[in-house]
Amino acid sequence: MLGSTVMLLILSLFIGLAAWLVFLWAVKKGEFDDPEGPKHRMLDDDDEH
Amino acid sequence: MAPQMRTPSGRKLRSRSAIQEVCGPADDKADAAPCGRLQICDHCQGPIEPGELVSHGGKNFCCRGCLGAWLIITGAGLDEFYRKRSWQESGPVQGAFAAQADPEELKKHLKHRPDGDELSLQIEGVRCAACIWLIEKALSRQPGVSQALLSHATHQIKINFDPALLQAAELFTLISRLGYRPGLPSRNRHLAAMARERRSLLARFGTALFFTLQVKGYSLALYAGYFQGMEASYRLLIQAFAAALAAPVVFYSGWPFIAGGWRSLRNLAPDMDLLVGLGVLAAYAYSLYAMFAGGEVYFDTAAMIVTLILLGRLLENGARRRAAGGIERLLALSPEQANRLEGESITVVAAGRLIPGELILVRPGERFPVDGRISAGATEVDEAIISGEAMPVLKNSGDEVAAGAINAGAAVRVTVLRPVAESFIARVAALVAEAQMRKAPVQRLADLVVARFVPFVLLLATGTALFWLARGAGAEAALLPAVAVLVVACPCALGLATPTAIMVASGAAAGRGILFKGGDILEKVGGLTLAAFDKTGTLTVGKPKVTGIAVAEAAEGASRETAEARLLTLAARLAGGSTHPLALAIAKEAKQRGLAIGIGTAETIPGHGLRESSAEGELRLGSAAFLSEAGARVPEAAQSGQTVAHLALGREYLGSFYFADPVRPEAGEAIAGLHRLGLTTAILSGDHQASVARLAGELGIARHAGGMDPGAKKAWLARAQEEGEQSLMCGDGINDAPALAAAGVGCSLAGGTDIALESASLVLIRPELTLLPEAVRLARRTMRVIRQNLFWAFFYNVLTLPLAAAGRLAPIHAAAAMAASSLCVVGNSLRLARKAGEQKSELRRREKKCSVQR
Repeated sequence: MLGSTVMLLILSLFIGLAAWLVFLWAVKKGEFDDPEGPKHRMLDDDDEH
Repeated sequence: MAPQMRTPSGRKLRSRSAIQEVCGPADDKADAAPCGRLQICDHCQGPIEPGELVSHGGKNFCCRGCLGAWLIITGAGLDEFYRKRSWQESGPVQGAFAAQADPEELKKHLKHRPDGDELSLQIEGVRCAACIWLIEKALSRQPGVSQALLSHATHQIKINFDPALLQAAELFTLISRLGYRPGLPSRNRHLAAMARERRSLLARFGTALFFTLQVKGYSLALYAGYFQGMEASYRLLIQAFAAALAAPVVFYSGWPFIAGGWRSLRNLAPDMDLLVGLGVLAAYAYSLYAMFAGGEVYFDTAAMIVTLILLGRLLENGARRRAAGGIERLLALSPEQANRLEGESITVVAAGRLIPGELILVRPGERFPVDGRISAGATEVDEAIISGEAMPVLKNSGDEVAAGAINAGAAVRVTVLRPVAESFIARVAALVAEAQMRKAPVQRLADLVVARFVPFVLLLATGTALFWLARGAGAEAALLPAVAVLVVACPCALGLATPTAIMVASGAAAGRGILFKGGDILEKVGGLTLAAFDKTGTLTVGKPKVTGIAVAEAAEGASRETAEARLLTLAARLAGGSTHPLALAIAKEAKQRGLAIGIGTAETIPGHGLRESSAEGELRLGSAAFLSEAGARVPEAAQSGQTVAHLALGREYLGSFYFADPVRPEAGEAIAGLHRLGLTTAILSGDHQASVARLAGELGIARHAGGMDPGAKKAWLARAQEEGEQSLMCGDGINDAPALAAAGVGCSLAGGTDIALESASLVLIRPELTLLPEAVRLARRTMRVIRQNLFWAFFYNVLTLPLAAAGRLAPIHAAAAMAASSLCVVGNSLRLARKAGEQKSELRRREKKCSVQR
């Protein structure tokens, strides 16, 4: 019982850490620098006719 | 926010208003019906100056540049741009089609990547989302360009391209030919620093939020164990995980507080950082101890404090960034480039590389990049931004021109007198920097409160320890309640108290056209006692208006009205095509009286006036000397001290027009509003004492001073500051910039000069003075809310202090106090938004009523 709890806790910790690292990478890459743009770019019809 | 506009003729914001002045509000449609004889350019929507019409394929353009842009856009199949765009202003972007890069400078800004080069440029003239779409599409369709991304927030573009297929200069030229003005992004260094700061803040906050949520999860289990009982081994395990997850929050996210607190401790100036750092470290250390000693842990408290305070900082940073971005975009780029003449060939170089003695070419509409002396040619120079004088000044060969002035006449060759770093603007900038440095640092309200609270808490903690020691408890048992006092006294809502109120208030203010450059400015505006104004362009419109018409006696006979109308019709025939302020004033007056306006076939004689040959003879409008050249004699009586223009047909003098700079219509109301709020007002002007006194009397302004230069204005404000006044200075010229920086709050109106906007900490997006009392009212309301917030932030924590001192504190108490105070603070700040919202809807209702009545 204690063993499986530890396992689950560690698993959740690793999933959490992965998400955190992705977040740090995104901040570093400048993914949050322009909060305005995506909502306009999303509406572009990029398929050329 | 729209960038400041300049037409090719160099007059600020003239293009759209010129149409409106001449033919009423312009239609937004590109193919708006031409009113009178003025047509609208199919590309830039600006008016087509008479004689400048360029037609191509049934479309009309105001210049070859606009035609070129239209050809590129339609040629690339991007004509959807014309349907998509929603421009708030019209006319070509100043310096757009002519912008050229110094290839050497451009190369320095290239970043070499394994998959090609990356070029970053700052783009001026982006007016709406469609502009961004157009630039990105046009660039990415170039062979060799792999990606072009233009930021909506900063208007900076990043272009990735293959250097084998394309030169950076070609990309630069393409953007320029599209009708935008690319520039090197070096000027926005502080924006880049702000972006870096925001990134680091975001990373810290994201980390804190993420781990705090996890720690909360474990805490929930611990709470359940607290109420229902829990096996010791499980509890220790969960506590250990909570400790591990709270560590990055405390030591990475919370590092600024720990470092800042240590600094403030060494300076013996307790501030918020010290309280937070101390509280967080105490909570974490206490919990670590309690974990092994088998007590209750407060890891979630430590993590929550850091997270909520970082959230507050992030909100405040966002509000500040939005305001700074708005102001940045009000600024046009000052000329960074100059056309250097070597023999007859022209090289584009960075202005900073010019050395005294070199020859440069300054085209009409361009700004003089350096102080210099005209060596060939004569032109009219618009020095409005330097002296505040609205009338262009005639400069002949041999005359000196100052950097920043606009060449409003013809192309001239200029000998460089001083390098850029020593130009007039640079000297003013130095005065500004000096004034900003002398400014006392702001003591934030929250810091003031904390400065008193921290010693109190430290005393209480020591007192608690001493009390338990005196009661005969062991050192350990005495220390634990003392640390608990530190933990619970640290109010995490404190971090939210100021920022939430400031964010909500500055958002509401921005909606009404008021930009506060920072939260401290809001606090300062709330405490103002004195408002000083510049005269020309601030209290007055800054553009001349026809105030009187004198008809020559010879023409008299018919009624005065018809005689004046006849004179005005003749003058308007000449003035129609000119962009001279006096000509515009005449055209406007004629338009108001419903008279026809000429299309401007008149010839402009710089410094003298306008002339046109017609069947009846030569028609001249201008100075008395100009008329007498043609043989017309202007009576002495007509040549008064006022600004005046005379009209003559051949040798016959017909009459005169008198001009004055009218007071802004809303100035009286704004001044009265400020007086009602208990502020004193003053005028500081470079104008004659008599005219300043007259205006002061008219508006009911108590204090006034005339004949002041930039240094004197700065000194006047410094003296007022010493007398204990909290002063605001409102101005728009370069000559006001040092005063703007020296005043407690510098205020500038949209349309002001770059340096004035930069020095100002409060910017009114619309040039309406009534926004000023509104800003003061809003700031005072915000201050009230901040004070209430500070109360609520401390209230619940203070309630739990006795429990902590008595050694009966449970984690649940700390959590409850924290949640309650944070909720109260956020709720109270939002109340500020709702109040503002109500006022807005009230306004809307009133507007609706008005339109129904109409």
